[in-house]
Amino acid sequence: MTRENQDALVVEGVSVNIGERTIIHNCSFKVGQGEFVGIIGPNGAGKSTLLKSLRGMLPLAFGQVSVFGHPIHRLGDKNAARLVAYMQQDVNVGFGFTALEVVLAGRYPYLEWWQNETAHDHHIAKEYMAFTGVEALADKPVNHVSGGERQRILLAKVLAQETPLIFLDEPTASLDLVYQEEIFRYCQAICKEGKSVLIIAHDIKLAAKFCSRLILMVEGQIVADGVPRDVITADNLEKAYGLHSAVFLNKVTGNLDIHTYEACATAGKRRSIHIIGGGGSTGDMMRSLYERGYRLTAGVLQAGDTDADVATAFGIDVVTGQAFSEITDRQAQDNRHKIACADLVLLGNLCYGKQNLDNLQAAFSASQLIVIEDTPIDERDFTGGEAVKLYRELVQRQQVTVMSSAQFLTKIEHYEGEKDASIYS
Amino acid sequence: MECRRKSKGLVFAILGGLLAGIILMSLGSGQVKVPLIQTLTVIGTQLGITGLPGAALTPEQTAVVWHIRLPRTLVGLLVGAALGVSGAVMQGVFGNPLADPGIIGVSAGASLGAVIAIALGLTASGLYYMPLCALIGALLAVGLTVALAMKDGKIPVMTLLLAGVAVSMLLGAITSGILTFMNEYRLREFLFWMVGGLDFRRWEHVFLAAGPVTVGIIILCLLARHLNILVLGEQEARSVGVPVFVFRLLLLFVSAVTTAAAVCVSGSIGFVGLVVPHIMRLLIGPEHRVLLPACALAGGLFLVGCDTLGRLLIPPAEIRVGIMTALTGAPYFLYLLRRAQKGGGLS
Repeated sequence: MTRENQDALVVEGVSVNIGERTIIHNCSFKVGQGEFVGIIGPNGAGKSTLLKSLRGMLPLAFGQVSVFGHPIHRLGDKNAARLVAYMQQDVNVGFGFTALEVVLAGRYPYLEWWQNETAHDHHIAKEYMAFTGVEALADKPVNHVSGGERQRILLAKVLAQETPLIFLDEPTASLDLVYQEEIFRYCQAICKEGKSVLIIAHDIKLAAKFCSRLILMVEGQIVADGVPRDVITADNLEKAYGLHSAVFLNKVTGNLDIHTYEACATAGKRRSIHIIGGGGSTGDMMRSLYERGYRLTAGVLQAGDTDADVATAFGIDVVTGQAFSEITDRQAQDNRHKIACADLVLLGNLCYGKQNLDNLQAAFSASQLIVIEDTPIDERDFTGGEAVKLYRELVQRQQVTVMSSAQFLTKIEHYEGEKDASIYS
Repeated sequence: MECRRKSKGLVFAILGGLLAGIILMSLGSGQVKVPLIQTLTVIGTQLGITGLPGAALTPEQTAVVWHIRLPRTLVGLLVGAALGVSGAVMQGVFGNPLADPGIIGVSAGASLGAVIAIALGLTASGLYYMPLCALIGALLAVGLTVALAMKDGKIPVMTLLLAGVAVSMLLGAITSGILTFMNEYRLREFLFWMVGGLDFRRWEHVFLAAGPVTVGIIILCLLARHLNILVLGEQEARSVGVPVFVFRLLLLFVSAVTTAAAVCVSGSIGFVGLVVPHIMRLLIGPEHRVLLPACALAGGLFLVGCDTLGRLLIPPAEIRVGIMTALTGAPYFLYLLRRAQKGGGLS
């Protein structure tokens, strides 16, 4: 059996019925060797059913599942068990079987019915127990160890099966965060050896962090399939979980991160506000306003600025300028156009330098303007007095209200819920 | 691991020693006391072993040891071993420490077979009729239970349990129905069957049970590794490639036949299949390759021990072994239950 360059798993048009109900609808995908695939989706999406039927434990209504080119339902019991290992969600290890005895069960497919485990099998079992760090528990009854230890013992059992394809059904359920990460890390290491792992995960962030690919399931169908950053999008999360969210790359951790918020009835129906920010001065306001259903635009924000990241995460229409360079005419024009379109303009508590002085000038074109002032303008001026002059002139104008960011945030809280509430009345 | 293996060896050594002791005691004690030397001489002479230190034997001693006590003890060993091993296997198959062969209808079927044999008067015409009827009844009952529970080539454990209960109730009703039409003499005969005993067992009984029981126990011990994995649950077993259906069916039938073969010569005897595997599991762990042989030894030990005790307690009368096993087994079992409750779980 040559396994070179062969797909580990090919799923073609699989549908599964349980009783009268169709649980899995027409699922197709391929898994290559060395892939670490996370299956995510809300409860009842059919993830476990899918995994079970891929392992050949449930009859398929339609379609075919092939493991290294062999249809799984036609492989013999033992042959299938030499190609695919499967770890189910709740294993009830009764009668006080010890960890070693449970791990040795993984060697079953390699033994004739009359054979006992050989020294070689014991060696393999011990090796994988060492890998998952449970060798010291070998003689302990599995029902007397902690949840994390138990899952690591069961993982060692699945690994002792030495299959090129491994299915794990929520191995991290009910584990502490540390243990959850550990299980994912073990899987990642296994995949580096060229084995393929399919894991059902309920923690999307963890799955996105470790898996090389994600499959999102909703109501028995695959809605998205690809690298984590393509699958975990605000759109998909709303489709799958009914979740309002902003997905962004967390710059501290380097991982995809998800910010979720409660949906509001007025989403996108409130007045439009243009935000002039930068240097992280308006991130909080952008979030509060966005979550309360205001239509937002922003500009000119420098690329890489925290404010720019927040705007991108929420999908806000933003004019972005190059970092450490002056605002171009094109950007200035864009910015003024957005200001003209907005019902209200918000000028953040930003510092001014040569590069962004145009932001201050643009504010003059606003018909309604709120100026946020947390620190006196003298401390924020790096233009040698030019910004101070412009700023003083600006706040004199009739259409301008000045307040602190705290006042502003309280104000939006306060108007929350009122019909057609306006924050500048 | 090393330490555990040693302790397992120790358990077997102790079991073997106790077994030898209790066998000799059961052969020697009773209304006619036979000293140890004479007992051994009788067995030696009967087996045709020459060159023994010839102790003087009375014909009475020979008759008592060889024709009355030895068959009785051997039947006790066979029945005890069969019940112990089948109990452990059933508990494994059902994944429930309270299961025993009775749970899939073995006892109810055997009782019905026995009561039919008695009602038809077959017991008078030959020694083999009642055991055979009991055996057939037991197997039919198990067959019916399994057939009722089977669906799409699977035997779900829960359905099997319920089917077992239903079949037992049905057969029990028929048994009671037949009993109401029987005369007093036959009722008494049935009562003796219901309360299992080892008295008046002859070599014919030994020969009848020996074949199926030993073969059954050997097969079950050979399947022990597969049983280990079945115990982890159906899905676990299937995921490592165990043909669950085949093994479940095989284990059920072999242990049912073994139990039926035993019960048909002794009458129904409770608690051995429940208590013995439980204690053995506590002593040497759940690994069936070790557990099943240990249950065979311990089952024989427990039954012969109970029988001997029953003969010695209130001479010249005898307490039947079925009563003794329940009298000693039930309190001990309750004690185990209490302890397990405090420990927070059964298995």
